[in-house]
Amino acid sequence: MFKEERKHCKFVWQDLGDIETGRPNLGLKVPVLAYRLMQYTMRDALITELGVKRANALFIKAGRLAGSLFCENLLNCQADFNEFVAQLQRVLKEQAIGILRMEMVDLQNLRFTLTIAEDLDCSGLPCSDEVVCQYDEGFIAGILEAYTGKPFSAQEIDCWASGDRVCRFDVRAVHAGS
Amino acid sequence: MIDQALKTLTLLLQGKLPGKIEKAKVENQNERELAKLLNQLVLFMEEIHRFVIPLAQGELSDIKFSPNNFLASPFKELHSRLRHLTWQAKQVANGDFCQRIDFMGEFSEAFNLMVTALQRNERVLREKIDQLEQALGHIKRLEGILPICSQCKRIRIEKADPDDQKNWLIIERYLSTKTDAQFTHSICPECKQKLYPEYIDPKPDED
Repeated sequence: MFKEERKHCKFVWQDLGDIETGRPNLGLKVPVLAYRLMQYTMRDALITELGVKRANALFIKAGRLAGSLFCENLLNCQADFNEFVAQLQRVLKEQAIGILRMEMVDLQNLRFTLTIAEDLDCSGLPCSDEVVCQYDEGFIAGILEAYTGKPFSAQEIDCWASGDRVCRFDVRAVHAGS
Repeated sequence: MIDQALKTLTLLLQGKLPGKIEKAKVENQNERELAKLLNQLVLFMEEIHRFVIPLAQGELSDIKFSPNNFLASPFKELHSRLRHLTWQAKQVANGDFCQRIDFMGEFSEAFNLMVTALQRNERVLREKIDQLEQALGHIKRLEGILPICSQCKRIRIEKADPDDQKNWLIIERYLSTKTDAQFTHSICPECKQKLYPEYIDPKPDED
């Protein structure tokens, strides 16, 4: 899977392997530091090779693919929207990815405002005027794309830390021409 | 400059919003930096005032802060939680009992219990309504004037041809088709006396 040159993503859920069999002693979970070590060093390396803009775009693309596969494999895409939001919140919590809270839902225009607290990617980072959650932006957009079948964009619009860091995202369907 | 700084800080500590310090009038570099920081503090406090007072009155629309106004973090958090709770309450009002509130202490527990109780009560009510509707259905199946033969007591099927004998059902069959009642056959004392007198035991005082 990682040797072939290609222009299209090839990753499928099964490529994650049989983790339960593969880690009979260490189990399914890893510390957040291991995840962040991989993500931040990868990002650092990509920035040095490709520049910030390109690196960020790649992180959004990877997050989108991950979100889409996450939705298809761990969530019931046939559920109605209310059930879908409830299960998404529950699964994100169970997988220790973050605490989802919906603030605004406009189903007519497919536009949402939501926050993620204790986020796997950024909780504990100091707040700054710099947006850091590109992977999350892609991940959230990918989940909604897989659920609705429509293209989405997600943008981190605010963050704050009063204890844990909380990020607020504006998520909306991308209409043709917009 | 020190006097201005003291005055600014005193007003802030009194909950008032002082005016900006004019940096241009400050000559010393360090004092200019101090003036800049104090002005920033005043601006941040102004933003918080503008945000918190309407928030306390239930105004939950977005208000923009300076990106680096970290003093506002707890208020943003509060605002966000209130917006989330508002959304949750609207969902419940619309009959969505799937949602739960996570990690908001006693409030989460109380809200989630309330939603669960509402969901349970609604289910019980729906079951009762179903039962009543079923009962009502049974009643309706038997209401109205039934055409009955004055001799053999057969009942005619509604709106069926009265001249066709097969449209006249014996009463057991008619009621079985209209209700969940079942019949077991016996004989009443009067009919027994009339039809099978030999099977009637004589009364003790007749001996």
